[in-house]
This record gives sequence, C-alpha cells and structure tokens, in this order.
Amino acid sequence: MADGQQGEEYLFKIVLIGDSAVGKSNLLSRFARNEFDQNSKATIGVEFQTQVVDIDGKEVKAQIWDTAGQERFRAVTSAYYRGAVGALVVYDISRRTTFDSVKRWLDELTTHCDTTVARMLVGNKCDLENIRDVSVEEGKSLAEEEGLFFMETSALESTNVQTAFEMVIREIFNNISRKVLNSESYKAELSVDRVSLVKNGTDKQSRISCCS
Amino acid sequence: MEKKRIDDYEPGPVPSPRPLDRFGFVKQEVNNSSEALTKGRSANEYERDERRVRKWRKMIGVGGSDWKHYVRRKPHVVKRRISKGIPDCLRGLVWQLISGSRDLLLMNPGVYEQLVIYETSASELDIIRDISRTFPSHVFFQQRHGPGQRSLYNVLKAYSVYDRDVGYVQGMGFLAGLLLLYMSEEDAFWLLVALLKGAVHAPMEGLYLVGLPLVQQYLYQFDRLVKEYLPKLGEHFSQEMINPSMYASQWFITVFSYSFPFHLALRIWDVFLYEGVKIVFKVGLALLKYCHDDLVKLPFEKLIHALRNFPEDAMDPDTLLPMAYSIKVTKRLEELKLEYEKKNGKLFSSAEAGRK
Repeated sequence: MADGQQGEEYLFKIVLIGDSAVGKSNLLSRFARNEFDQNSKATIGVEFQTQVVDIDGKEVKAQIWDTAGQERFRAVTSAYYRGAVGALVVYDISRRTTFDSVKRWLDELTTHCDTTVARMLVGNKCDLENIRDVSVEEGKSLAEEEGLFFMETSALESTNVQTAFEMVIREIFNNISRKVLNSESYKAELSVDRVSLVKNGTDKQSRISCCS
Repeated sequence: MEKKRIDDYEPGPVPSPRPLDRFGFVKQEVNNSSEALTKGRSANEYERDERRVRKWRKMIGVGGSDWKHYVRRKPHVVKRRISKGIPDCLRGLVWQLISGSRDLLLMNPGVYEQLVIYETSASELDIIRDISRTFPSHVFFQQRHGPGQRSLYNVLKAYSVYDRDVGYVQGMGFLAGLLLLYMSEEDAFWLLVALLKGAVHAPMEGLYLVGLPLVQQYLYQFDRLVKEYLPKLGEHFSQEMINPSMYASQWFITVFSYSFPFHLALRIWDVFLYEGVKIVFKVGLALLKYCHDDLVKLPFEKLIHALRNFPEDAMDPDTLLPMAYSIKVTKRLEELKLEYEKKNGKLFSSAEAGRK
C-alpha cells in the first residue's frame, strides 16, 4: 500500500457519527473540499474522504469515514469504528432529539473501539440561531461530563469546521506523543484494522502500514 | 420543533430555469453524458426507436391486455427485448406488468388510500427529513412541498404503515422516487410492495429489515463472486483491505438508483424487474471487469474513490449491459446463498468477537 510512499508521516482514522441529517456529510465536504452542497443526498452506507493536515510541521493524513445516521444502518456501519483513533459525534443544535442521542453514539464508540479515541462533541448548524433547540451551555456541560472536546460549527457558513477537525487530529497526535514517543509497535497498531468486516473467519485483519 | 425546522430552513429551491436533461435532472455544467447521448441521435436511430415502440405496443396490447399471453408464448422474445431497453414511453406500464404490481393493485382496491389518509406512522419525521434529500437535482422533486415531494412522502409513509417491521429506511426513497417518475403514487406503492414482498421474485424486504440481513448476504455473495470471477482484482482488494461493503452497499440497497447516471439506472431496472436481483451482481461484476486493469494498480484510497466514480465510458449502457449479460451467476449465487446461510450462525458469533 502506498501510504508511506506519498510522504505522510501519520495516518489517523476518524469516524463521523451522529443522527441522520445533522450535517455529517457536509461537515466533511466543507473540511476536505471547502464545499457545501445545499442539495446533498442522504448517505447510504458509508462514504470516505482523506485530508492531509500539517501538525507541528508533520504531515498527518486523516482518513475520515462518514457513516449513515439512521439507526438501522448500524448493522453495517459499526464495522467501520474498528481502528478509529478519533471521532466527531455530531448533533444538530436545532433538533433536541439529535442531542439526546449523543449518549447512545458514545456507547457505540465504546463498544466498537479498542484504542483510546480522541472524541469531540460537535453541535452543527449553529447558523440556525433563531430556531436553536439546544443551548451552548448544555453542549458544553455534556462534553465536560463525558470528557469530550466541544465545539459548535456551521458547515453552511464554514464556522469552526476546520478547527474542529484539526483539534481532533491534534489530540490524536498528542495522545501518541504522550504515550509512546517512539514506539514503532504503537504506531503500527494505530494503522491496523482499517476495517474489519465479518468475513468467514479469515484473519485478514492485521495490516501494518508504515507511519514513521 | 421538528416541523418548524423543516419549514423554516432555507427557502425551497425555486423551480429552476436551468436546463434539464431529457429525464428531468438539472444538467451539470460540465459535459453531460445524457446530453451527448441525445445529441448523438440520428434520424436512423429515431426510426429504429419508432419501430421498437410499435413492436412493444403490439406485444403488450391495450393497457397491457395481451401481455400475459405474449410472455407465455414467447418468453425469450420478451427477455431479448427487455435486455435492449423498454421504450421510455411504455416503461411505467411495462414495469407494472413485469413486476406483478398491477395484479396487487387490482386485488387491493382502496388499500393505498386507507394507508395514506387514515393511518399514522412512527417514521413520519424520518421520512420528511429525507424527502428533500432524495433526487434533489430532479425537477419533479426539487420544489419544497411540491407535488413530487408530496407523492414521495405519501408512498413512503404508506409503506411504513403497510409493513411496520420494515417501516422506513434510508434508501427506500430512491426506489420510490425512481418509480414515481414513471407512474402514479398508488402504482408506485404497489410496485414497492411487489419488490419487497416478492410478487414474482424472492422478496427483498431483508434489504431494510433490522440488521439489514439481505444486504449482508448480497455483500457476502458479491465478495465471493469478485474473488472467483476476477481473481487478480479480488486478491488486490484483499491486500488493500477493500471489501464490497465499502462500495457496493448502495448498489444493492438502492438497485443502482442512488448515484449512477439515470439512463443507466433505468436500463438496469428494466432487467431487474423482469429477472430479479441477479442483474445487480452482473452489472457490479461488469463494472469491475471493465475497469479491471486500472483498479488493480490503485492503492486503498484511490481505489475507494475509483469505485465510487466510474468513468463515463464504463457507464454507457450499451457497453456495460452486454458485458453484464454475458456473465453467468445464477447457479453460483444459489450455492453461495446456501453457503452463507450455513455459515450464518458462526458468522454472528464472530461478529460479536469482532466487536471487542
């Protein structure tokens, strides 16, 4: 595989989760391509983008998995949590039900992720101040309670989107530096298990990529 | 709150003066494939199309009266003609005939109306939220609360009441939307029922039931077929950790109606409604086969991208479909289904293990 050949020094897998229609796909397209699609289609299954970010002079490639939000799809999307080292849990500040679901999404993460995951709570659509249904304070206090970063964003107006993703990426980066400064094995561990799907018991799951 | 949000959100797109393609989709600025197709039609081709329509009209009779008789007498002729594409002006009617939905409609007078008007569904808000996210670039569905969006809502709501176990699942909207471009609400509803409940082919409701069991089965079968029919590519996919759930879920969940060029989707649906889901496997394999030599060279990320953005020439129905027809999968699909069912117990336990 070519990750090492393209000059990225780190490869982080990040998942975007949260209820349907909170704006996950548009957050990603704003971050990766600086685009917002007024007429975007509901995500079916899973979508994927990569973005290279510079952190302290190091090239970091973020591999971001954007998942369908509807409950029913968890049967096929949960497999993508495997190997994730970062997560943005997104809700829509104008719809309380999406905020109420945050805890369930966090549970999903805990269930499916093995390593330390840098997590950020994202209240999207903060441009919709006039029909706000969840206050900033509520978002903040939930984040504190659960030990998450917190940020309100607007993919539409491009508010805080870059910052939110970069904070998660930086945190992942810091996690590594803190934990094992130069342990090859730990870095390798970060990149294995891009995805493991249930497939007839074979163990094709381990995969080392060069991240040094 | 939920309702308010939907109403207050951005003013619905004004029915746009932008040019549309021949199916009613807003044209992309860059060279559009279906435009190229329309432009390329010569007088000869028009005549050929006219002849085809006449043949088809004779075959189905007034309002479909001769259809059943004809299919019994000359099934191979029907199959051949369908494989060349059903004339667009007859598509809606023929789809209802070949899917068995017309019979369902006649057997259930008044049922649709009952479902739409008198029943309530737990999925109503979910449906509303996705309405404007279904074929957003089609003129019929563009206008907020316009006739297209209302029909789509009604069909999906009716289905979610008709089968409360399935309810509403994202993806169903694309099926319903595609059908609504060719028939009335009630007809579209019964065609959806015919497909999901299995009027003439195996039921497909498992695509949407809890756990998406049929999606999982299809992906398993497809994965195996890729490895068997295109071993070099299959090996490359394994090495790059690519599996069909990353690119083919949408193919199955929406029968190619989610992101493929519309003229191709229609041709696939012609065959799909007549012969069943195996055409989805065949088209999938044909796409991979057509792009084989490029795909085997690509690393993970480029592969993922390529598998979602096939080149235009690969998606020309007159190239792709003959290739798809030539791939034989029926027997192998059946065997793989049995194999999958046998493994199922084991599979679920290893799914549990995989979650740790």
